[in-house]
Amino acid sequence: MTEPILKVEGISKSFPGVKALDNVHLEVHPGEVLVLVGENGAGKSSLMKILSGIYTKDAGRIFFEGKEVEIASPLHAQHLGVTIIHQEMNLMSDLTVAQNIYIGREPMIGPFLSEAKLNKTASDLLERLNINLNAKQHVGELTVAKQQMVEIAKALSFNAKVLIMDEPTSALTDTEVEVLFTLIEQLKASGTAIIYISHRMDELKRLADRVTVLRDGSYIGSLNKDEIDIPKVIEMMVGRHIDEGTRPAIRDKTSNETVLRVRGLSTKSLLRDVSFDLHRGEILGFAGLMGAGRTETARAIIKADPTTGGTVEYEGKVARIKQPADAVRLGIGYLSEDRKLLGLMLEQDVTFNTILASLPTFTDSIGIVRDGKAKTIARDKVSELRIKTPSIGQMVKLLSGGNQQKVVIAKWLVRDCDVLIFDEPTRGIDVGAKEEIYALLQLLAAEGKSIIVISSELPEILRVANRVIVMAGGRITGELHNEEASQEKIMHLATHGGGDE
Amino acid sequence: MKYGRKLAFAAITVAALSVAACSSGDTSGGTSDGSGSGDQPYIALVSKGFQHQFWQAVKQGAEEKAAELGVTVTFDGPASETEVDAQLQMLQTAIDKKPIAIGYASLDPKACIPLYDAAKAAGIPIVEFDAPCDSDYSQNLSATDSKVAGALAAEHMADLIGGSGEVAIVGHSQINSTGVERRDGFVDKIEADYPDIKIVDIQYGDGDHLKSADIAKAMIAAHPNLKGLYGTNEGSAIGVVNAATELGLEPGKLTIIGFDSGAAQINAIKSGLMAGAITQDPIGIGKSVVEAAFKASKGEKLDKFTDTGSFWYDSTNIDDPKIAAVLYQ
Amino acid sequence: MSLQTDSGPSTKGKKDMTVAAEKQGGGVLAFVKKQAQQSLAFGTLIILVVFFSIASPAFLTWPNISGVLLATAVIGILALGTTFVIITGGIDLSIGTGMTLAAVMTGVFIVNIGLPVWLGVLGGVLTGGLMGFVNGVNIAFLRLPPFIATLAMMLIAQGLSLIISGVRPIYFSGIADDFKLIALGTLIPGLPNAVLITIVAALIAFVVLGKTILGRYTFSIGSNEEATRLSGVNTRRWKVMIYTFAGLFTGVAGVVIASRLDSAQPQLGVGYELQAIAAVIIGGTSLLGGRGSILGTVIGALIMSVVINGLRIMSIQTEWQNVVVGIVILIAVYFDTLRNRASA
Repeated sequence: MTEPILKVEGISKSFPGVKALDNVHLEVHPGEVLVLVGENGAGKSSLMKILSGIYTKDAGRIFFEGKEVEIASPLHAQHLGVTIIHQEMNLMSDLTVAQNIYIGREPMIGPFLSEAKLNKTASDLLERLNINLNAKQHVGELTVAKQQMVEIAKALSFNAKVLIMDEPTSALTDTEVEVLFTLIEQLKASGTAIIYISHRMDELKRLADRVTVLRDGSYIGSLNKDEIDIPKVIEMMVGRHIDEGTRPAIRDKTSNETVLRVRGLSTKSLLRDVSFDLHRGEILGFAGLMGAGRTETARAIIKADPTTGGTVEYEGKVARIKQPADAVRLGIGYLSEDRKLLGLMLEQDVTFNTILASLPTFTDSIGIVRDGKAKTIARDKVSELRIKTPSIGQMVKLLSGGNQQKVVIAKWLVRDCDVLIFDEPTRGIDVGAKEEIYALLQLLAAEGKSIIVISSELPEILRVANRVIVMAGGRITGELHNEEASQEKIMHLATHGGGDE
Repeated sequence: MKYGRKLAFAAITVAALSVAACSSGDTSGGTSDGSGSGDQPYIALVSKGFQHQFWQAVKQGAEEKAAELGVTVTFDGPASETEVDAQLQMLQTAIDKKPIAIGYASLDPKACIPLYDAAKAAGIPIVEFDAPCDSDYSQNLSATDSKVAGALAAEHMADLIGGSGEVAIVGHSQINSTGVERRDGFVDKIEADYPDIKIVDIQYGDGDHLKSADIAKAMIAAHPNLKGLYGTNEGSAIGVVNAATELGLEPGKLTIIGFDSGAAQINAIKSGLMAGAITQDPIGIGKSVVEAAFKASKGEKLDKFTDTGSFWYDSTNIDDPKIAAVLYQ
Repeated sequence: MSLQTDSGPSTKGKKDMTVAAEKQGGGVLAFVKKQAQQSLAFGTLIILVVFFSIASPAFLTWPNISGVLLATAVIGILALGTTFVIITGGIDLSIGTGMTLAAVMTGVFIVNIGLPVWLGVLGGVLTGGLMGFVNGVNIAFLRLPPFIATLAMMLIAQGLSLIISGVRPIYFSGIADDFKLIALGTLIPGLPNAVLITIVAALIAFVVLGKTILGRYTFSIGSNEEATRLSGVNTRRWKVMIYTFAGLFTGVAGVVIASRLDSAQPQLGVGYELQAIAAVIIGGTSLLGGRGSILGTVIGALIMSVVINGLRIMSIQTEWQNVVVGIVILIAVYFDTLRNRASA
């Protein structure tokens, strides 16, 4: 085998109160895809931030092309040829695609920028990478998937020798994922080393030349391509065995009491005549491709967006919902897909977030928050939902993704909602924590809550939903009971319905 | 070291600003003389402001009188004449420091009443200058009768434009008493005695030179037959003069009457751009209030009002020693 | 088409399967959207001019138009500089009193120290740049929020103006009689030089914002500072440069106002910053940063002075003038948010 282009030995990094990395090893060779896996909080992001010059290491050595280096800044990392595509979007939405890609490296004519040259270079790059984007378009006008492609194009524009990708496909459609994988193959062939961080086992199988597993900031081990076995990898990650093929127990449908009855829901831009029932104690999955209208349906139900028609009945009565607050009052909670943006106060602690949706219950007659009661309930929920946090006073932004999601769930449980709508409940959450979320959903359903789960991951839908509604192009194109559902059937409905798409 | 670098920048910041401060030889002024500490008895003056030259002249008069009487004075005032609250804080501070007497120029006639009660309770006599507070506790007010002064301006305006035509007013405040009274004195006099003169517009420029100039230009544009403009304080009057200069009006085409003095106004009168102005006697006000305060502290009985007077001045009498004495540059 | 994917704020994570239409429409659509606010502001300006022309025959006369342009000069120049600061997502409250300090320093240099006029003017402009530099250092390196840092500078500049001038105006006449020609001379007959200075300043600002690296990073920092930093741009240093550059405009405004008044008035300046910021906002620059244009700011400043002048010509009471200006700002910003919603 060739010499490693990048080799990391004994890296440690501490933050106040946390040991993020402890004596971690890693190496990657030219023309190789190293898939790095580990639960959230395992230290993958910290390690990548050290490699890309955002953090400085406390101890350990980094070798690049055989020579020991200190990576001092993102710029330095880029000069070496180590480039990272961050999981969080790192784009300037008010600049164009070309301006984003070449930020800090603008072609100049004398003291002035040369926009023509910039656009030409960017167009050439996009063409070479087979990315279908207009270099002059503002990034803010692009879909998230296309923004991701911009990120990738930007990273590749550095002629990187080592390219780090942090969950690059988490917001991509299948076609776009294919484009990305083709790109990765091309890069491999040209000798680029790729460190690929992912939660998706199918991607791991498809891409990995080698896998390195981290857990709790420590190096667990590496497997070569021929040794890769998914259950074994997962076991290394979580330290216990997970059965991937589990399906929910078949629901007893004899007492199918309808909690939520939606009829003819339409919006100006997308939804057309969306009608369905949600039964008590049921988990109803919403499947479909990106843009099919699943999130829009949820938002239309709680009137987060204006509707042009349709009715919502809650427990047999027409629900007068004019704004999300009305929905919450009725007991319909929506847990948005973007927790950080819309679901949590990241700068606030666990207690604050837990009681946020039900503040009036925790205030006395003159409006003063009763801290004691709030803390008690927060403590209850932390242990009930097994939220991993040093204390209920911890700032939520310091928790891992899975635990943040649990805090959101806690918030709505405290609010005592009977209908819970989960939008991508496990996005950005690692495998072990996903299982916990699934178990939690089933527990809640068993307690009589009615749950809608919107998910883009078919195994997830099949894992938790008693019944699956498939959408395409703003319409419902099919409905399947779990017993009869399969990934193939759902994909068929998701790609063949809708008509006008 | 990171912290060291921050300190270095802080130092640069401070240094940069001190260089700016050092580059002028004249660094007098500020909010107070810094005296009033120690055990020497002193008189606290709380003014409406200190930035305007008028108040600087009052301060000068006060200091002269204080030196004569062998007492110290402090002179405080808010940064702008809209900061009623800040002024009340200053009055409160003055009371707390227990001077032998307080001289006060009220920005708001009502807001000061509780503090007068506090001063009464503390046994500190209060005398007033420029503008009164609606309280009986004050023993004397040294001020210009602004309505009389406004009427004086109206009489001269009427004479200068020949008793008929359109005039307008650029005021400096529609709230504080000098602004209101100088306007009302003028308006009442015109309405009562000069039926052929029409006041076509009254607007307010806050005493801001630039704003007043733009207002005056708009008035001149809107009223082509305008014969006279009256600016109710120095900033307003200079604004009117600037407007006339910028429009290239010949001196005297528009009759401009100002108020107070200051170098720019004096020059405008000397050059004929401005017909004349009303002046108060700010130095006299300063002297009068300190004298009244001193007497009050001795328990002497005082008259309720001392009119410190107002005078018309124009190019004919500007160098008259009696007028020159009350003008400030 | 793009509307399908972008039906609300939470659809940020949504993607569509049909990309062809968006790709073709994107360029034209983006262009139209980009022009919308400016054409809206420009339309507003035209409507106002037409309205006041009908309301008062005195409005549309050359002396008055020239007066409106002159009245736009000081606020307009301040607004030009602060456009850069606002596009970075910052704010500069120190421009009003900073302008005054620059005026006072110009007076000190020319009158007290006796420097030649050109050198004094340069000194005044650099005073503005120095204050911008200090603001930039405080914001970028000491990490003070722009609001706080510039609020402090506003007070410091106000105090220094009074201290340095000895709480007295500094008069130029008699010492530098040509000084007033900087603003009030007429290189073009009938048009005061202050207007020319404003036009030149606007052209410089336009080129710097649109065609230079400083302008590019101004947008980039305002759009996503962290991403810009991670892209290897030394954002702190650039922020200092942006604030310094903006400060130079404050300095120019100081020289212009001193020249127009033929004196440095140390008590002026408070409130000018808010008028300048209002002009910038009316011109469609987003207070959140990332978006804005010089053309918009120029139109915004003109709208402000046309409204004020028109109301004065119509002899509307001063109190009501404030109300109307407030309403104009509300309407302008409301349309801006409408536009944002439409293009979200």
